[in-house]
Amino acid sequence: MDVQLRSVLLFLAYKLTRLGLLLAAVAVLTFALLSFSPVDPVQAYVGADMLQISPAQRDLIAQRWGLDQPMLLRFGNWLGQMVQGNWGTSMVFDQPVVQVIQQRFELSLPLLAIAWLLSGFLGVGLGVLAAAFQGAWVDRSIRLYAYTLASSPPFWVALLLLIAFSVELGLTPICCAAPPGALAEEVTFWQRLHHLLLPAFTLTFIGVANITLHTRQKLIDVLHSNYVLFARAQGESLAGILWYHGLRNILLPALTLQFASFGELFGGSVLVEQVFAYPGLGQATVQAALRSDVPLLVGIVFFSALFVYAGNTLADLSYQIVDPRIRLGGRIG
Amino acid sequence: MLAIGGEREEGFDPTLGWGRYGSPLFQSTLLRRDENLEIVNDLATGYTVSQDGLTWTVTLRKDAVFSDGKPVTAADVAYTFNQAARSGGLVDLTALKEAVAIDTHTVELRLQKPQSTFVNRLITLGIVPQHAHGPDYARKPIGSGPYRLVQWDEGQQLIVEANPLYYGQTPGIRRLVFLFLEEDAAFAAARAGQVHVVSVPQSLAKQTVEGMKLHAIPSVDNRGLMFPFPPKTGATTPKGYPIGNDVTSDLAIRKAVNFAIDRQALVDGVLEGYGSPAYGPVSGLPWEEPTAKIEDNNPDLARQILAEGGWSDKDGDGVVEKNGLRAEFTVLYPANDSIRQALALAVAEMLRPVGIRVNVEGKSWDDITPLMHSNVVLFGWGSHDPTEVYNLYHSKAAQGGFFNAGYYANPFVDRMLDLAMEAPSEAEAIPFWRAAQWDGKQGFTAKGDAAWAWLVNLDHTYFVQECLDIGQPQVQPHGHGWPITANITRWKWTCN
Repeated sequence: MDVQLRSVLLFLAYKLTRLGLLLAAVAVLTFALLSFSPVDPVQAYVGADMLQISPAQRDLIAQRWGLDQPMLLRFGNWLGQMVQGNWGTSMVFDQPVVQVIQQRFELSLPLLAIAWLLSGFLGVGLGVLAAAFQGAWVDRSIRLYAYTLASSPPFWVALLLLIAFSVELGLTPICCAAPPGALAEEVTFWQRLHHLLLPAFTLTFIGVANITLHTRQKLIDVLHSNYVLFARAQGESLAGILWYHGLRNILLPALTLQFASFGELFGGSVLVEQVFAYPGLGQATVQAALRSDVPLLVGIVFFSALFVYAGNTLADLSYQIVDPRIRLGGRIG
Repeated sequence: MLAIGGEREEGFDPTLGWGRYGSPLFQSTLLRRDENLEIVNDLATGYTVSQDGLTWTVTLRKDAVFSDGKPVTAADVAYTFNQAARSGGLVDLTALKEAVAIDTHTVELRLQKPQSTFVNRLITLGIVPQHAHGPDYARKPIGSGPYRLVQWDEGQQLIVEANPLYYGQTPGIRRLVFLFLEEDAAFAAARAGQVHVVSVPQSLAKQTVEGMKLHAIPSVDNRGLMFPFPPKTGATTPKGYPIGNDVTSDLAIRKAVNFAIDRQALVDGVLEGYGSPAYGPVSGLPWEEPTAKIEDNNPDLARQILAEGGWSDKDGDGVVEKNGLRAEFTVLYPANDSIRQALALAVAEMLRPVGIRVNVEGKSWDDITPLMHSNVVLFGWGSHDPTEVYNLYHSKAAQGGFFNAGYYANPFVDRMLDLAMEAPSEAEAIPFWRAAQWDGKQGFTAKGDAAWAWLVNLDHTYFVQECLDIGQPQVQPHGHGWPITANITRWKWTCN
């Protein structure tokens, strides 16, 4: 018991140290990259008003955002504040970065969660189906679907779905997280769900391809193994083989892949939210990048690094639950 | 329900730039422009400018209150101007020295130097309440405007309602919802019957939407070719970018380009007919000089101008030369703008027969910036504020930025622009703005120095629900979308 506890603590300490190093590297890199970016933040802020804003006013704008100082000094200031928990002020939203991320993520979370769960179950299901009937028309159509989806740009898929379901069929709303014109207190849970539906499905459709193909391949390997041949020789049915040998063996890679897909999920949401005018974190990311909003962009990069890291850690942790052969102690001790 | 784009993520604080196009909705301005762009009173009952042009005295109406019930006073006006001058937002008040409240209903705006265009700040700057203006203001605006904020779902929509305390005429539409959608999604929403006003790019204007009418509103949102004016001498901007171009510094080249282009063909071909030919930067505005217009689409005249200027095709390659210099230049345009790309390519085709070779290159603005003082750039401007004319053509405005990027310089034009700027009022400045364009002998337009080749003005195209009467809109400035709200209080719903 004591050994067990110690190994968990060690594991956590190890993970946290790595997280710290990762975040430090991410901070330095993002900041440096953005500083060398050709986008001039003052110009991005001024935008089309170029001829209304005199050089004197430009200087004033630069002063307001601290852009008149050298990069190293800015980085120092920013780091100092960061350590104190102040993530700075977003230039686009003129609001504390933490507040922007929090507001936006609250809207993105249900979208990401639904898409993640659906694409996980659907992906494994389709993968198993394809592998079980390898070579048959089921397999071929599933593969066609997966390859097509894996190679289509997400925003394009999103637009097609929007045209089909919202414009032509009128089944789903055209935009936003709530009915346009409705007051916040009037919006029901079902309305919110209704507005989540199409973006979430789009994300699912896109996310499913990867996990389907991996599951299929892995299961085919399993089905060609000696122990499956042995089970078959003893008269085990296909269902039985899948259940007793297949699932347990493919669950581990599927889980890893599923948790590791946090990053792709996040990336996909950026595009999908843009198309559906869904005001989540993805949309804010686009704004921040287009207008060189360094504090917000660094904040979002930080946040997404945390998010993806959490996904990978969860994958690590889930191993021991699924597969008793893997022990934490064995990995570190 | 409107989908006209243009969310202001920063919030609705006029001291940071909210409301400079169209109506600030929640706040009211001292003056405003009517349908004919004439200046009329709004919050102000009148204003006078001192003899030296340095002091503007504005008197306020006495019945105006903010939406929280407190009266609008001169102190609020003075506070708004001083705050906007300090805050480093998108309101350029660097000309203002200070704003002082003289009594409850009189305010004095003291300037650094005379500026007739300062009146545009009185037209665009919404007045905020001093007592309620804090860090939260941008998200919870209080003002004396026709509408008040009900709800803002960032990234999605803005819901506003008529302000019952508004001193002016009660708006015809009680409740407005602005949806912030991408162009494609907005058009899809209109086709699904979910929005009543949608701004669309010209390329979509040819389509029909059931139950909606297309409104093509004229604008000064213009596009033109900016020529580098001086020859290449090795001079550079303060940032070290090269200035000048040996080909475009020749008047014959600039004139030939101006006369050879078929502007109506550009309107019909590139803008699908939704636009008008542009011969200067201020088409349709009160300070446009009508005689500056030229008869274009005249390649023969262009060839003649080139020949008289000493340009001829000696080696027979279809491109004219002068002293060993080929008549060849590059037109740069922002690569993400399909209209500018089409314009640039069409112009290149139109100039080929007269012997001028144009290379067309799309780049990002950040890549264009270092090159724009030595290459031709396809720019787009257009404003209700004639300061823009000054910034485009005054030799002193050329500082290595977007102002007078081509380093154009003509002492006569400079003098006219200075006189226009120093005039005590906009009306008195107009003759000078016009003279700078063309006074019969000289000027910056095609008949004179041909410092630019202006091409077209875009029409701003909107689909509007048949039941909605949007009144008579103004000639719109650069920026598609919000300008349509300028007369929003006059909008009416005509069906039941």
